[in-house]
Amino acid sequence: MPASVASEETSTKPDDSGIDILALKELAKRSLLEALNSISGAKTLVLDPSLVGPLGLVTEVSFLKQNGLDKMFWLESGPLNAATSNIVYLCRPKIKFAKIIADHIKKHTTAGDKHIYSLILTPRTSTLIAQILEEEGVLGEISILPFNLQFIPLEEDLLSLEHEEAFKEIWLEGDETSLYNSAQALLTLQRLYGLFPRIMGKGEHAERLAKLLMRLNAQQLPAPGVPTFQGLSEKLDSLVIIERRVDMVTPMLTQLTYEGLIDEFIGVSNTYVELPANIVSPPSANANTTQAPALATTPVQAEKKKKYQLSSSSDPLFGELRDLNFAALGATLSTIARRLSSDYESRHNAQTVAQLKEFVGKLGSLQSEQQALRLHTDLAEMIMPYTRTQIFNSTLEIQQNILASYDIPGQLTALEDLIAQGADKRGILRILVLSSLISGGIKTKQLENLKREFLQAYGYELLPALLALETLQLLQSNPLPPSQTHAQSLRLPFAALRKQLRLLIPESEGGSDAAPTDISYVYSGYAPLSVRLVQCVAQMNGVLASLGSGQEGAKGKAKADIKDPAELPKMNAHPIVGWKGFEEVITTIPGPTVDIQQGENVTNPGQTSKILALFGVPGLILASVFGNEHTSTTTVVFFLGGCTFTEISALRWMGKHIKGEFDTSGLAKLERYSGRRFVIATTGVISGNSIVDSLLPKVKVKPAPVAGGAS
Amino acid sequence: MDPTSLIQHPTLTWEAVNDGAVFYSRRHVYHMNWNLGAGGGGSDLSGYVVAAARFGGPIAIIRDNSKLIALGRTTFTKPVILVYSSAGTQLASITWELSKIVALGWTMSEELVVLNEDGQYRLYDLLGTTYRTYSLGPEAAETGVVDARIFEAGLVALTGNLSFLEVRAWSGSKPTVLSSPVLTGPPITWTIIPPDQTSSRHAEVIMAVEGTIYTCDNLEHIDQQLGGSGPFTHIAVSPNGRSLALLTSSSNLWVITSDFQRKILEFDVSSLAATSSTSTPIQLAWCGSDAVLLSYPTTVVLLAPGGETLTYHYVSTPYMVTEPDGVRVLNKEDCEFVQRVPDSLEKVFRPGSTAPAAFLFDASESFARNASSSSSVGVGVGSGSAGRARTDESIRALKPDLAFAVDACIDAAGREWDVAWQKKLLAAAKFGRAFIDLYDPRPFVAMGQTLKVLNAIRYYEIGIPMTYQQYTLLSPEELLARLTSRSMHLLALRIANFLSIKPDAVLKHWACAKISKTRPDGGIGGGIGGVSGTAEDDEDVARGIVEKFEAMGAGAGSAGVSYAEIAKRAWESGRNRLATALLDHETRAAEQVPLLLGMREDGRALEKAVDSGDTDLVYQVLLNLHKRLPLGDFFKLIEDGGPKVAPASRLLQIYARDQNREMLRDFFYSDDRRVDSGLLLLEDASTQEDLTARINSIKAAQKFFSEDRERGFEARMMDENARLLALQQTLEKDVDGKAAFVGLSVGDTIMLCLQCGLHKRAEKVRSDWKVSDKQFWWLKLRALTEAKAWDELDAFSKSKKSPIGYEPFVRHLVSKGFHQQAAAYVARCDAAKRGELYMLCNEYRAAGKEFKDRGDKAGLSELVRTCPDRLIARELQGLLSSM
Repeated sequence: MPASVASEETSTKPDDSGIDILALKELAKRSLLEALNSISGAKTLVLDPSLVGPLGLVTEVSFLKQNGLDKMFWLESGPLNAATSNIVYLCRPKIKFAKIIADHIKKHTTAGDKHIYSLILTPRTSTLIAQILEEEGVLGEISILPFNLQFIPLEEDLLSLEHEEAFKEIWLEGDETSLYNSAQALLTLQRLYGLFPRIMGKGEHAERLAKLLMRLNAQQLPAPGVPTFQGLSEKLDSLVIIERRVDMVTPMLTQLTYEGLIDEFIGVSNTYVELPANIVSPPSANANTTQAPALATTPVQAEKKKKYQLSSSSDPLFGELRDLNFAALGATLSTIARRLSSDYESRHNAQTVAQLKEFVGKLGSLQSEQQALRLHTDLAEMIMPYTRTQIFNSTLEIQQNILASYDIPGQLTALEDLIAQGADKRGILRILVLSSLISGGIKTKQLENLKREFLQAYGYELLPALLALETLQLLQSNPLPPSQTHAQSLRLPFAALRKQLRLLIPESEGGSDAAPTDISYVYSGYAPLSVRLVQCVAQMNGVLASLGSGQEGAKGKAKADIKDPAELPKMNAHPIVGWKGFEEVITTIPGPTVDIQQGENVTNPGQTSKILALFGVPGLILASVFGNEHTSTTTVVFFLGGCTFTEISALRWMGKHIKGEFDTSGLAKLERYSGRRFVIATTGVISGNSIVDSLLPKVKVKPAPVAGGAS
Repeated sequence: MDPTSLIQHPTLTWEAVNDGAVFYSRRHVYHMNWNLGAGGGGSDLSGYVVAAARFGGPIAIIRDNSKLIALGRTTFTKPVILVYSSAGTQLASITWELSKIVALGWTMSEELVVLNEDGQYRLYDLLGTTYRTYSLGPEAAETGVVDARIFEAGLVALTGNLSFLEVRAWSGSKPTVLSSPVLTGPPITWTIIPPDQTSSRHAEVIMAVEGTIYTCDNLEHIDQQLGGSGPFTHIAVSPNGRSLALLTSSSNLWVITSDFQRKILEFDVSSLAATSSTSTPIQLAWCGSDAVLLSYPTTVVLLAPGGETLTYHYVSTPYMVTEPDGVRVLNKEDCEFVQRVPDSLEKVFRPGSTAPAAFLFDASESFARNASSSSSVGVGVGSGSAGRARTDESIRALKPDLAFAVDACIDAAGREWDVAWQKKLLAAAKFGRAFIDLYDPRPFVAMGQTLKVLNAIRYYEIGIPMTYQQYTLLSPEELLARLTSRSMHLLALRIANFLSIKPDAVLKHWACAKISKTRPDGGIGGGIGGVSGTAEDDEDVARGIVEKFEAMGAGAGSAGVSYAEIAKRAWESGRNRLATALLDHETRAAEQVPLLLGMREDGRALEKAVDSGDTDLVYQVLLNLHKRLPLGDFFKLIEDGGPKVAPASRLLQIYARDQNREMLRDFFYSDDRRVDSGLLLLEDASTQEDLTARINSIKAAQKFFSEDRERGFEARMMDENARLLALQQTLEKDVDGKAAFVGLSVGDTIMLCLQCGLHKRAEKVRSDWKVSDKQFWWLKLRALTEAKAWDELDAFSKSKKSPIGYEPFVRHLVSKGFHQQAAAYVARCDAAKRGELYMLCNEYRAAGKEFKDRGDKAGLSELVRTCPDRLIARELQGLLSSM
C-alpha cells in the first residue's frame, strides 16, 4: 500500500469527529459582518496591524469588499487621507490606538475634512478607550461598536485567541483582560456544545478562570424557575486548564518537531510563515498563498519573501509532517517521494481507456502533492544548516544536561561561551531561566556574573528584561534575597516531578524518532510537564509507562522493531475522574489544584438515563438512545498564557493513541469510550522566544552597525 | 334535564347579513362601573374627549372644552384626566397643570400620552404616579400645536404654521418634519397610517383639504385628485392599513384602497332610516378589515361588505374603539364588543351547519346527554346504548375530517366568551380526539391554559376584555406587563407561573412599588408580599423583597432579577441604606458598580469591580475616581484597599504609563517603590534622543536602585551604563563621527574599536569594564575575522596562551567561510580533534594524516566516504588499506 503514512491519520480518527470547531469561524465572521453592516456606505478601514493575521483566518478581503470596504490602511501614527466619508477603525482596545485615532480626527477637523468615524473594538467595547477618546475631546465624533472575535480555529483541533502577549500581560503587568476574554470564549464553547461536565486545572489563574467561567455562566442562565435548556455537554467530557506559569520549563526548551523548529528558526505567526519567494512561488493555483498578502494594505517591503500558510486543511501533507520529530522528517519525506513516484509510474500500467481516465483523474492531486513535497523538502533543507551550527548543538546539550540536573555549574560555564560567541540573546535567557527553574535558583555570585556578562554583551538596556524575569520568578538567585524569601515555597520541585511524572525518558524507552512510544519524542527525550499533567487526567497509563514498555499488546515485539506507527498498541480511554491517583504529585506543584464538577442541579443525560432505568427501560435500549455506541468524547485542553507547537503535537499524539474500552462499572457510565479526542485551546501559540521577546524593550535605540555583533 | 337550556346559546348575539353568509355578533361585555358626572363633562360621553387603548386597554377621558355644558356643583380651575379600565373602574386621576391639552393617546405599553398646545408631551404610567416630559422642540412651542394624532409607537402633530411633525418611539427623539402641501388653514379632517403599515416605514398623513385628499409622508405629498367628490368630513383607516373609509359632506361613504387605486364600495348614508334625524355621524370606524361602523348619538350602524346594514341602538352616546378584530363600543352604561363571528364558531353553531365540527359538537353533546341520563335515571339503558351506537356511527362517518373538526372545536372554544360553552367545545374536542390515533395533544392543552388566563383577565375587576386573537397578537409577556403596570402583581405572578414565563419584570415592578409604598414618611406598606405594616424598617423591606424573589426562584446567584435596578430605585427615592442592602444581593458586578459609584461608595465599587474579573469595569471605576477625587485621596483609596484591590493598582499603572506618566511617578514615589521608579526612568531614557538627557535619566535611575539594599547590582550596572555612554560620545569624536558608537553594548564597543584600529581604546574598555579574558578573546577573534586582519589575528593568537583554546579559532573562521585561514590553527588544537577539524577546513590530506597517526580507522573511513575530491579519496583509500 503506497498510502501507509496517510492511512495512520485517517484510520485512527474516530468516525464521528466530535465537535466541529470550525463553526466558530462563522460566528466570528457574522459578528464582523454585523459591525460592518451597521455602518452604511463605502468605508475606509484602518486596521490594527496585530489583527491582520487573526482577521485573515476568519475572513477574506473579498468578503470585506462585498461589505462596502473601499481601502485599507494600517492603524499607525501619521496622517490619514481617506477618500470615503466613512472611516472605520478596527483594533484591540489599546490606549495607544485611541490616541492615534484622536489625533487623526483632530487633524481632519482642523483641515476641514469631514468624515463619519466608527471604531470597532474587539472582542468588546471598552470604557477605557471611550474615556481616553473623551479626554482627547473626540468621543462625540465617533461611534464605538464591538466585534466579538473569540476563539479562532487554526486547525480542526486547535483553537486560539491569537493573543500572543497574554503571558506578559497577566503575570508581569497584572492585566487580566485576557483571562476575562478567555472565560468569555470558553463560555461561547459551552453555549454551543453544553457545559463541561468537569473542569480541572492547575495554577492560581487557572482556578480564577474556572471560577470566572462558572460565575459568568450562572449569570447568563436564561431564567430562574424555568428548567434550563443548557445541560451538560454530551460531546465534551471535561475542560483541563493548564496555566502557563505552572510549566515554564517546557517553552524554554528548543522545540524539536518540524513545526516547532520552523517556529524557532523562522517564526510562525497566525499560521503563516514567511519564506523566500522561490520556495513558495511556483505559479500555484493554491488560493491560500494569495490570501494573506491580499490583506496587507500596502506592499510593505519589496523583499522577496512570501507568506505561506501552514495548515493541514490547505496543505494535507503538512498535516502529516508537522508533528514529527525533525530527525524523522527526512525519512518520511523520502517515503512520500517514493510513493509519489510510484503513483506516477502507475500510468505505464494503464492498459485500458478506463484505467487511463482514472489516472488522469488522480493527476491533479498528485501534482499538488508533489508541489507540497517540494516545498517541504526545501523548507527542511533551509532549516538543516541551523541545526548543524555549533551554537544550536551546544544549546541543546546544555538544555538536556540541565534537565537531568547534570553539572549545573559546568552548564553555566558553557553558557558563558555562548554569550561570548554572540549567540541569540533569547536563547541565552532561555537557558538562564531553565537552569534557575530546575535547580531552584542560581548561586548568587554566579548569577550576578552571568547577568553582568549578558548586559555587557547585549546592552545595558536589557536590564529591565532581567528584572522582569526576576519579578516573574523565572530567574532567581539562590539563596533568595531577604525580601523575597516568601517565593521559596513557589519553587517547582522539578527533581521530584522528573521522577514521579517520568519527565525524562531514556531513548531506549521512548521508541524511535519515527515510531515514538511516548510524548517525550517531541523534545527528544523530555516529556512536557504541561502535557504530562493532562495525561494525569485523561490518559493515566501514559504517565506511568510508555506504550512500548509493559503494555500487553507490545510484548511480542521488540520496541525498536515497530516501524509502522499504526501497529502501536493503544492506551485505554477511561472516564475522567479528576486527578485521581496523582493528587499528591499535583499538590507539590505550586498553585491551587482545580477539580470542579459542573451542573449538579442541571439536568444531565446521566440522570435522565437513571430515571428511565427506574421506568424499566433496559440498559441496552438505553445505550442506543442516549449514546451512540461509538461515541468518542472530546477533552478540551486550555492553555492560559499560550502553548507551544510541541505541546500541541504531544497532545495530538495522545489523541491518536487512546483506544476504546467498555466500562460496565455503573449505569451512569454506560457510554462506551471508543476514544478520546483532544481539542487544544489557547490564548495564543507561543514559543520560548516569543515569551522572552515580549519582555525585551520594544524600542530599538539604534541598530548595531557591527555585522555579526549582538542582534 | 338538559343543562344547556339554562345558558344562552351563542347565536343569540348573532345577526346575519348577505343572506346568512356572514354573521356579526354584538356581545355585551361589561356594565360600566364609572360615574361620568365626576369628570365634569356631563353624564354622557358626548361631553368628553375620549382616548382608549387597543387590546381592551384603559380609557382616558377629559372634559371637552369645545362643548358647552352647564356648570354644576363642580367647577374646575385645572382640567382633570380620568383613567378607567374597560369595565369603568377608575385607575387614575391626573390633574393637568400645563397649558391646554391638544390630544390624548396611549402607547403600546399603555402609557398615557398627553400633548399640549406648547408642544410638550408627557407619558404617564397607568396609575398616573410618574411621568416623563418631552417636547416637540422650540419651533413647535413657538407656533403652537393645533392638533395631533397619537398612535402606539409615536405621534404626528399639526403645528400652528400647518406643518406636520412626526415623533417616533417614546424616547424624546427629535421630531421629523413631514412633507405637506401649502395649506391655507387646517385640513377639514385628517388621520394617519401608522409607520408599521406603510411602505415608507414613516407615518403617512391622510388629510381632507377642500374637495380632495392629500397623502403625505416624509418624502412627498400627493394630491389624490378627488376634486369633485369632496369635501370629506371623516376618514378612517382599516386595522390592516390597506383600506380607507371616507365620508363626504353629502353623506356618501366610500371604501377605497389606501393607495387610492380602487374604490371598493360607495354607499349613500343618508338613505339609512335610523339616521334620518341627524345627518353627520359622530365617528367612523372599521370593524375588522371589511366592515365599517358609523356612530350617531343613539345608534351605531354597521355597514357590511355587501352593502347591507345592521343597526344597533343605544340609550346614550356611544364611543367606538377599533380593535384588531372588531370594535369595542363604550357608552355611559355598557361596554360592548362587535365583531364578525369567527369562522370556527360559525362552523359549529350556525343553524343548519354541515361542517364536521358541528357534527362533532352534536355528537359530543348527545353522548354527554345520554351518559348523564343513563346514569341518573338508570332505566333507559337501552335508549342510552342505542344513542351511543348512533354517536359512534356519526363519528365514524366523520373520520376523514375528524382531525379538522377537533381543531375547529378547540379554536371555537378560544373564540367563545361564555365559560360554559368554552367547556362544551373543549369537551367536544376531547371526545373527538379519542377516535384519532396519534393526535398531538399540545394545542388542546395550550388552549385550556390560554382560556384560563383570558377568563381571569376578562373578569370585571380586572377589566381587560381581550379576545383570543388579540391575545395571540399581543403575546402573553405583553399581557403580563399590562397587568403589572396596573399593579396587579399577584395575578401577573400567578399567570407567569402558570404559563412558565419568567416573572422577573413583574417582581421588579413589585419591588419598586413596594419601595415607594413603604416610604418612611408615612407609606402604607403591603403589596403582594403580604407584609402589612406602617413605617417599615429598611432591613425588613430588603428582606421582604429578597425572600419574595428567592421564593419565586429568582434568588441570588441566578441571572433573573437585577437587584441593582431595584436598589437604584431605592437610592433615587433617597433610601441609601435600603439601596445598599439590596445591592448586596446583586451578583452582576456590571450592574452593581455604577450604582455604588453613584452612591459614592468608592471603596466597595472598586472591590466589586476587581472581584468581577472584568478589567474594563475596573477601569471604569478607576477613571471615574481619578476624575472626581483629589490625587492624594485617590492613591490612598487604592493603597488602603490592600491586596484586594492590587489588580486595580496594576491596571492604573498600565493606564498611566501611556496616558499620565507624571501621575505614575507620583504614585510610585508615594508608595516608596524605588525599583519601579528606576524602571520608569530607564523607559524614559530609551526614548530620549538627547544623549545628555539620556545619561541623566540613567543616573537618576541608578540613584533609585542604590536606595534599595537588594538592588546594588542594578545600581552598578546603571553606573557602568552611564559611563559607557559618555565614553562612546568621546569615541565618536575621536573617529570624527565615522563610526557610530553610542548605544552599543560593551562587547560591540570593543569590537568596533578593534575594527577602527583603536586597539588601545579597546584594551582600556576591557580593563575599565572588567571584561573577562574569555569574553575579550572571543570578541577580538570575531572582530579581527570580520576585518579579515589575518596577520593581526595571528599575532593575537600568539600573544599568550589562548584562554578559550584554539578550536574556537578554527570553528569560527570556518563558520565565516575562511577555511584556509582556519586550517592554520588546527595544529594548535587538541590532538584528538585535529582530524575532524581538518575535515571541517576541507583539508582532507591533512585530516587523513591525523587519523592515520592516531590509528582512527572509523574516522578515516568516514573521511573517505565524504571526501568530494576523487583523487584524494583514492589516496586516502590507500591510506586506509595500509592500516
